[in-house]
Amino acid sequence: MDEEILQDFLVEATELLDQLNEQLVDLENSPDDSDLLNAIFRGFHTIKGGAGFLGVVPLIEICHRAENVFDKIRNHEVAYDADAADVILRAFDKVSQIIGLLNDGEREIEDTEPELLDELDAIYKPVANQDVAEETAEEMPSEPAESVEVELTLPEGVDPDGDMTDEEFDALLAQRAQKTAEVSSDGDVVEPNLSLPEGVDPDGDITDEEFEALLAQRDQLMTESPKATSQTVQQAEPSLTLPEGVDPDGDMTDEEFDALLAQREQITSKPSAPKAEVKTPAKKPTEAPAKPKAKPASPAKKVDAKKEEPAEKAKPSGDSTVRVDTRRLDEIMNLVGELVLVRNRLLTLRSADASIEEISNAVANLDHVTTDLQTSVMKTRMQPVKKVFGRFPRVVRDLARKLGKDIELELKGEETDLDKNLVEALADPLVHLVRNSVDHGIEMPEDRLASGKAKVGKIVLGAEQEGDHILLSITDDGKGMDADLLRRKAVEKGVMDEAAARQLDDKQAFMLIMAAGFSTAEKVSDISGRGVGMDVVKNMITKLNGSIDIDSAMGQGTQIRIRVPLTLAILPTLMVSFGEDSYAIPLTSVQEIFDYNPDKTNNIDGQKMVRLREQSIPLFFLSDWLAPDVEKESYQGDKVVIVAIGNQRVGLVVEQVNGQEEVVIKPLGLMLHKVSGYAGATITGNGSIALILDLPGLVERFQ
Amino acid sequence: MTVQTGERQYQNTGLFSDGADLDDEDYISPTIRCVLFRLDNENFGINVKKIREVLRVGVIRKVPGSSPNVIGVINVRGVIVTVVDTRRVYGLPSKPSDELSRIIIVELDEDRAVGLMVDKVQEVKDIPESRVDLMAATREGASGYIQGIAHYQDNVIILVDTDNMFVER
Repeated sequence: MDEEILQDFLVEATELLDQLNEQLVDLENSPDDSDLLNAIFRGFHTIKGGAGFLGVVPLIEICHRAENVFDKIRNHEVAYDADAADVILRAFDKVSQIIGLLNDGEREIEDTEPELLDELDAIYKPVANQDVAEETAEEMPSEPAESVEVELTLPEGVDPDGDMTDEEFDALLAQRAQKTAEVSSDGDVVEPNLSLPEGVDPDGDITDEEFEALLAQRDQLMTESPKATSQTVQQAEPSLTLPEGVDPDGDMTDEEFDALLAQREQITSKPSAPKAEVKTPAKKPTEAPAKPKAKPASPAKKVDAKKEEPAEKAKPSGDSTVRVDTRRLDEIMNLVGELVLVRNRLLTLRSADASIEEISNAVANLDHVTTDLQTSVMKTRMQPVKKVFGRFPRVVRDLARKLGKDIELELKGEETDLDKNLVEALADPLVHLVRNSVDHGIEMPEDRLASGKAKVGKIVLGAEQEGDHILLSITDDGKGMDADLLRRKAVEKGVMDEAAARQLDDKQAFMLIMAAGFSTAEKVSDISGRGVGMDVVKNMITKLNGSIDIDSAMGQGTQIRIRVPLTLAILPTLMVSFGEDSYAIPLTSVQEIFDYNPDKTNNIDGQKMVRLREQSIPLFFLSDWLAPDVEKESYQGDKVVIVAIGNQRVGLVVEQVNGQEEVVIKPLGLMLHKVSGYAGATITGNGSIALILDLPGLVERFQ
Repeated sequence: MTVQTGERQYQNTGLFSDGADLDDEDYISPTIRCVLFRLDNENFGINVKKIREVLRVGVIRKVPGSSPNVIGVINVRGVIVTVVDTRRVYGLPSKPSDELSRIIIVELDEDRAVGLMVDKVQEVKDIPESRVDLMAATREGASGYIQGIAHYQDNVIILVDTDNMFVER
């Protein structure tokens, strides 16, 4: 296999799979959308083409069958019902899996389980048999359609092998032209049809779209020919069945194709000649509506793919690449130009006797340019949240079907941009939360009806920007959470004693579900209820400097809100210090700062606590850890920084608070990764290094 | 301030007088080009291919809670690099840096570098491969940090195994 071509194929296939994933679920809601059907058909077809070129046989086998299925569906011969969807979705999963394996460097792909292939076949085969069985006049309109379809797929089948050159294609067209011209008086009608493809052909790349466009054109031309007789249609039959026997093998060579053509020639050379034209007019009724719609959709996609390819080629794995609008790059280039100008200005000022004013002007300019540049560069890392959301329709659909629930998923604010790393990091937690909503939130249809709700449950997945944060929300209209039940469970599981549990307000009680090992599910399903998951979600969100907030009303539903910073690269922090050494505390966690006052502290069970508005909060004296060599007589004059870590609050005692600073997080070097309590380091405004504190790690250190 | 003057410099201490007693063999056989440095009285060598630069010692930021073998971190043109107390790695007591002390920035791979604090850097020397006795598995429980020993021009040079030194255990 040619690695470079393979990588290109994988990038394209991954994109197609993303689209297919969405389209397949959409299709279930609107099974008659021919645009969608064509797009899906094309998706599988393109993957098959690439796989054929690279010789990935299992992939060809599946895609080919899927393609057949959708061909039938779009011709209204097979209905896309939930059962068909299940099989197709499994086929889709298999395709994703194979692409995944290829992406992971696997080159030997095992054959697909024959059951899956059989099931795929089963969707469309019975109908095909029927067709053959009843050769009635009524069938004719659809039958010839197939025959033309075969003509269609034949050249397409050849295409993926890479052996279809322009000349061959011309030759084929010429052959056909000859045939038809020889026998029919419609030669003049065929002629214009011929010249058109030739105008397109010499470009070397005959794409599927072009080919289909050609056929569509021919259809139009053919409509003018009035030559549809029933006998000729019947004679068309043999040419029909033959290609079908060969096609499913996936390996259509040029010779085979030639052979087929030769066969057809034999048939057509008999007096029944005008068949070629007859078939096409008959086909129109079914095909014509589909094709023109397919065209506008697919060329657009092609253009996209082409444009993006150069950027992605450099690296083998699609994950490490970002797609950037060229306009954005121009903007950056522009700003870099500005930056160079400011540098030149500063260099001149350095050598000349510059006034303070001139210098400060130049510096102000520099400030401007760098800020803009920072924003622009950050934007290049932004991706629409759609990347994560895209997978949910499928997740919800599968789960709902499995549980026998009726659920409608609504996505809001999919176009909200988010840092690429965040998009990836958020995927897993969101899946957990959505699964929870489906499993625990939404009730069974009959229960919903009984409690006077609509039968179909609704989950809304939303994203919006909120200042320098992104707010993600998962809202369901399910049964809501019972705060009392949660309090009871907390006591049962020994998480806290009764008194403590009674003190929790409802919100705090809801947050209990985020505790490790906490599950209220009466029975454990394979979907959720094991009490793992929510704490993982909480940890991941905390790691991203985000926060979680739960709101719920019994019988009305639950809303979970997640706030995460726009980007992970730049972190707003509170700078604190001990003597010369400065440390940065992520600002999102900081709640308030006040002077340390020994009168307001208590020693409770060996832990210093500070009283704050009727609450005791544990105090961590950071100097014990960060400046152990310094003998500290008194903490008078020190500051207490109250931070929230998950649903816990602690007070950090620091010597000085130096104010806010936006810092760029840099990883700590070798041998320091395992030291807990640090999230990284940064270079401060005065050029020294400040260590960024990792609050969860820090708490561990003090407990 | 932790900003370093990134100037490279090697001092020729005249420890090895060039071309003094070279055999024919030394000219013919392939050599390893090494930067030589000293810890107390021992000579150490690191393959130049591994070295990005040699820095004077600036301000080193301590990282409380880290291993005692780590002195701290420095800022090398925007990258945070860990500085290792090479003396401790080889079982010598720590000592404060002086004006001869240098930090050798060793590149482990494309995006990992580490600084080795050494007493002083001496010179760059080509050591014939034939003079190097590789240490691999010759001694039970050998500190994984020595690649081999070269006997050359009346000196014993310990070749540092930078690849194994920082395998995180």
